[in-house]
Amino acid sequence: MWKNYSVDYIKNNRASGISIIAASFIAGLFLSFLCCLFYNFWLDNIEGIKLEDGDWHGRITGEIDADKLAKVNYYANVEKTVVREDLSGDGETVVDVYFYDKRTAYQDMSALVKILELPREAADYNYQLLSLYFIRIPGDGQPRLLMPMYFLILIMMCFSLILVIHNAFGVSMNSRMHQFGIFASIGATPGQIRKCLVQEAFFLALGPILLGILAGAACSFGTVLGMGAFAEELAGGRRMAFQCHPAILILVFLLSAFTILISALIPAGRLSHMTPLEAIRGTGERELRKRNKRLMLRKRPGLSRGHEIGCFPSVAAFGGLSGSLFGIEGELAWKGLKAQRKALRTTSLSLTIAFLGYMVMQCFWTLSGISTNHTYFEAYQDAWDVMATVKDTPLEDFSLMEEIRGICGAENTVFYQKAEAVCALPKKAQSVELQALGGLGTFLEDVAQEGEDFFLIKAPVVILDDDSFREFCGQTGIAPQLNGTIVLNRLWDSQNSNFRYPRYIPYVENMETVTLYPAAGNGNIPSERITEIPVLACTQMYPALREEYEKSEYPLVQFMPLSLWKEIGGKIGGVEDNLYIRILAQERGELAPLQSLENELTQTISPAYEMESENRLQEKIDNDKMIEGYEMILGAFCGLLAVIGVAHVFSHTLGFLGQRKREFARLMSVGLTPEGIRKIFRIEAMTVAGRPMLRALLLTIIVMAVMIRASYLDPVEFIVAAPVWQILGFVLTVFGFVALAYYLGGKKILKMNLAQALRDDTMM
Amino acid sequence: MEILRCEGVRKVYGAGDNQVAALDKVDLSIGKGEFVAITGASGSGKSTLLHILGCVDKPTAGRVMIDGTDISTLNATRAAIFRRRKVGLVYQFYNLIPTLTIGKNILMPLLLDKKKPNQEYFQQVVGALGIADKLECLPNQLSGGQQQRAAIARSLLYRPALLLADEPTGNLDRKNAREIVDMLKLSNRNFNQTIVLITHDEKVALEADRIVTIEDGRIVGDGLSGEKFHGKKYADENHFDEKRR
Repeated sequence: MWKNYSVDYIKNNRASGISIIAASFIAGLFLSFLCCLFYNFWLDNIEGIKLEDGDWHGRITGEIDADKLAKVNYYANVEKTVVREDLSGDGETVVDVYFYDKRTAYQDMSALVKILELPREAADYNYQLLSLYFIRIPGDGQPRLLMPMYFLILIMMCFSLILVIHNAFGVSMNSRMHQFGIFASIGATPGQIRKCLVQEAFFLALGPILLGILAGAACSFGTVLGMGAFAEELAGGRRMAFQCHPAILILVFLLSAFTILISALIPAGRLSHMTPLEAIRGTGERELRKRNKRLMLRKRPGLSRGHEIGCFPSVAAFGGLSGSLFGIEGELAWKGLKAQRKALRTTSLSLTIAFLGYMVMQCFWTLSGISTNHTYFEAYQDAWDVMATVKDTPLEDFSLMEEIRGICGAENTVFYQKAEAVCALPKKAQSVELQALGGLGTFLEDVAQEGEDFFLIKAPVVILDDDSFREFCGQTGIAPQLNGTIVLNRLWDSQNSNFRYPRYIPYVENMETVTLYPAAGNGNIPSERITEIPVLACTQMYPALREEYEKSEYPLVQFMPLSLWKEIGGKIGGVEDNLYIRILAQERGELAPLQSLENELTQTISPAYEMESENRLQEKIDNDKMIEGYEMILGAFCGLLAVIGVAHVFSHTLGFLGQRKREFARLMSVGLTPEGIRKIFRIEAMTVAGRPMLRALLLTIIVMAVMIRASYLDPVEFIVAAPVWQILGFVLTVFGFVALAYYLGGKKILKMNLAQALRDDTMM
Repeated sequence: MEILRCEGVRKVYGAGDNQVAALDKVDLSIGKGEFVAITGASGSGKSTLLHILGCVDKPTAGRVMIDGTDISTLNATRAAIFRRRKVGLVYQFYNLIPTLTIGKNILMPLLLDKKKPNQEYFQQVVGALGIADKLECLPNQLSGGQQQRAAIARSLLYRPALLLADEPTGNLDRKNAREIVDMLKLSNRNFNQTIVLITHDEKVALEADRIVTIEDGRIVGDGLSGEKFHGKKYADENHFDEKRR
C-alpha cells in the first residue's frame, strides 16, 4: 500500500502533509526547548545550592575521632567525608558526608550516628540539595512549591504538545476514513491499513521531529546564554552554563515517536472496529451512542438501518437546558457536539491544559509574590539601609566604630555580632500564657532537653555595641546600663497561629537572671563555663536589625552589650566569625544617597578589614530585575501554552467543521436559515471554549486553595491580588480564536452547494 | 455447481425496543455463472443482504457459504482477504480512491496481495469495459459511467467467485446505465462470472437470468426472469426447497 497508495497520497495532498510536518516540527521544537531549558534550570538550581550551602549530602556534628571517622568512611554507601575545620571547635568535629546513592541518605545517616553512638540531632542534611534530587527527608516540613510546580507545568506542556501531534494526525486520518473504508471493502486487511498509516506517519513526521529537536536545543542554548548574561549583571548573579544531556533529546525523540505511533494506530484501531461499509459512509462516529427515544421520530418497522431518521429530534421533545436557553439551535448545537464528542476530546483536553497551565501559573506567581513580600520585604527589608559584613573580626577588636558613626548621611548605626548559647529556663519562669498552652514542653517536643525543674533551650546572643545597647535600653523603657541582658520575651504560639500570621505570647515572667551555657558540648559542662547574668528587661521589642528571630526551636533570644560579652564571652564561646554593621540612612527613599553611604562605608572599612556591603534599594532593584526576568520566562511559557492551545483549537475547529458539511446540509434542507446556522456556530464556539475554561477554573481554584492552605496565606489577601485581568485577557483571546475558527469554517459551510452536500455519504 | 448458499440468515439492528430485523430467515442458493437480480422496495433489506454476501457486514444469525467457505465465521483479516480474492463489489457511487489513477484503482486488489497482474487478462477487461485509454486518469477526470466501468474492472480483475453490484446504475443516465448492464452481462457470458445485482429498477432486473424479490427482510419471490411471478404461488409450492433438493 505504501508504494501504490501512500506515495501518491502524500504527493497529491501536500496541504495535509504540510500540516503534519509543521505540527511535528513545532512539537519537537517546543518539547526539546522546554525539556532542555528546564534541565538547565534544574542544574543551575543545584549549582546555586552547592555554591551557597555546599555539595554535601549529610553532616555529622559531635565528638568524632580518627577511629570514628574511619568507621564513617568504611560505610558502604559513603563516597567520601570532609572534616570541616572551619565549623569544628569546642571539642566537636563537623564532618560532611557524601554518599554514592543519595536516595538512601536519610537511612544511612541515621545508621551512621547510631554506629558513632551520637544522638540523632548530630545528623544534619542538605535539605535543599537533596530535595532537588527529589529526595524528601522524612520530617522535612519545608514546603517545596517551586520544583514540583515547574515539573507540573513541564508535564502539562509536554502533554499538550503531544496532543498537537496527535490532533494533526487525527484530522488527517479522520478525513481519510472513507478511503480506508474503500480499501477495506476491496480486501485490505486491518494489518495492511495499520502498516500503511504507521509508514506514512513516520515518513512525514520523523524528519521534522528530529529537526525540531535540534532547533529546540539550539533555542534553549540561546535562551540560557541570554539569561546567563542577564543574571551576571545582577549583584551576586552568576552565568548559567548550558548543558544538554543526550538522554533528554533521546527521551523527547522517543516521546514524539511514541506519540506518532499511537496517533497512527488509533484510527487504524477504530477502523478495525467498523465494518468497511461504516467506514465508507463515515457514520461510525457520528451517531449518538444512547439515542434518546423521546428525541427520535419513531422508526417504521421494515426500515433498514440506512433509513433511520434518527438524527432529527422531534420538535415536541426539545426540552433540554440548551434548548430552553437557545431554542432549537441550542438543542441542535448540543446534539452536534455530543455526537462529535470523541473528535472533540483532544481539543477539549488541550484547551483545558492551556487554560489550566496559564491560570495556575499566573496564580502561583501572584502567590509567590505575596509570600516573598511577607517573608522578606515586609519583615526585614525595611529594618536596614546599608549593611556591611566585616569578615573574621570580633566586635571587641573592631576599631572603626566612631569613624563609621561619623559618616555623612548615616542616621543610626548598630554594630553587632551573633553567638550561640544555651540557657536553663526554670519551669516556674514560664509565662502564664505559655503554661496555659501546656508549657514549653508541648512546643519543643523531643528537641528540648528537659530537666526536673528546667528546660535547656537555645539562647542565641546578639551582642550590640554599648551605645546601641544603651539606646535599646531607652527604647524598652529602662535606664541605660551595661551589666545585664535584655530578653526577647516573645514566643510564637504555633498551636493557635501559623508562621505566616504569627501570634506571639510572653515567653517568661519574673525572670531576674539567666543562666547561660556554651552551645557546643552535650552533657558535661564544667561549672566554670556556666554564667549567670542579670536580666535587665524582658520585652517584646527588638532592635531594628536585619535578622530573623527563629520561629522554629523556640529560642530565648538575648540582647547583650559588648562590655558584658567581653567579660563572659570567653566562658560561653560560640561566637560567629563575622560582625555586622547596620546603618539606617537619613534619606531612605533614593538610591544615590544609599550608594554614596555604602561607598563611604566601604572606603572606611576596607583598607583595614575584609568586608562585604550591600544597600537595601540596590538589593530591591536587583530583586525586581530578577523578578522581571522570571516574569519574562514565565510569561513566555504562559504565552507558549496559549499559542499551543489556540493553534490546536484553530486547526481542529476548521477540520471539525469541514467534516460536518453533510450535517449542516441536512439542517439547511429542512429550512434552517443561514442565521440559524450562525447561531448554532456561536453556541458551539461558546461551548467548545467555555467548557474547558470552566473546568480549568474549577481545577485552578482547587489547586490554589491547596497552595494557599499549604503556604498559610490569608485567602482574602490572595483574592485581592488575584491576576483577574491577565486571566480574563487570556480567556478572551482563546474565545476570540475559537470564534474566528468557527467564522472561517462557517463561511465555507454556508457557501457549500447544498445539492452536492446532500448526496449520499459514499460520494465523499 | 453451487457458489453461494445462505441458510437462515438474520440481521438485526439496534437493541431492546429499538430492535429491527433487516433480514429474517433468508435462505438462498446461487449456482456458478448465474446472473441474479435482487429486487425490492427501499428498506426491504436487499442492501443488507448484499453487504453480508460481500463480507462487509456480518449476519446476526445463520450461515453464508461462498465457494465452500463459511464467511460468517471469518475474522477481520480473513474476511478482508476473502473479500479481496473471492468477492468483487461494485457500489452505486463507484468508491474509487480519488488520489490513485484508474489503472492503480483497478489493480489495487492484486497489489494488496503483492501479485503481478496477468497483463493479457487486464487488457482484455479494460478493453471490454472501454477504459483502456483512461488508465492514467484520476477518478475525478472521468464521467460517472466511466468511473463505474473502472469499479467493475476492479471487481473483475481477481476473477472473483462472486461479483456483487449494489445499484450500479442508480447514479447514471439511461444510456450509461444500459451500457453498464451490458458490461455486466458480457462479463457474465464471456468470463462465466457469477453476478448478484441489487436493483429496484425493474428493467434492469429483467436483464438478469433470475430475479429474487425481498420484502420486509424476507425472500418473497424467486424465479427466472420473464416468468410470471406470484409470491403466494412461490410460497405454496415451496419452490425454493425443491430447488435446494
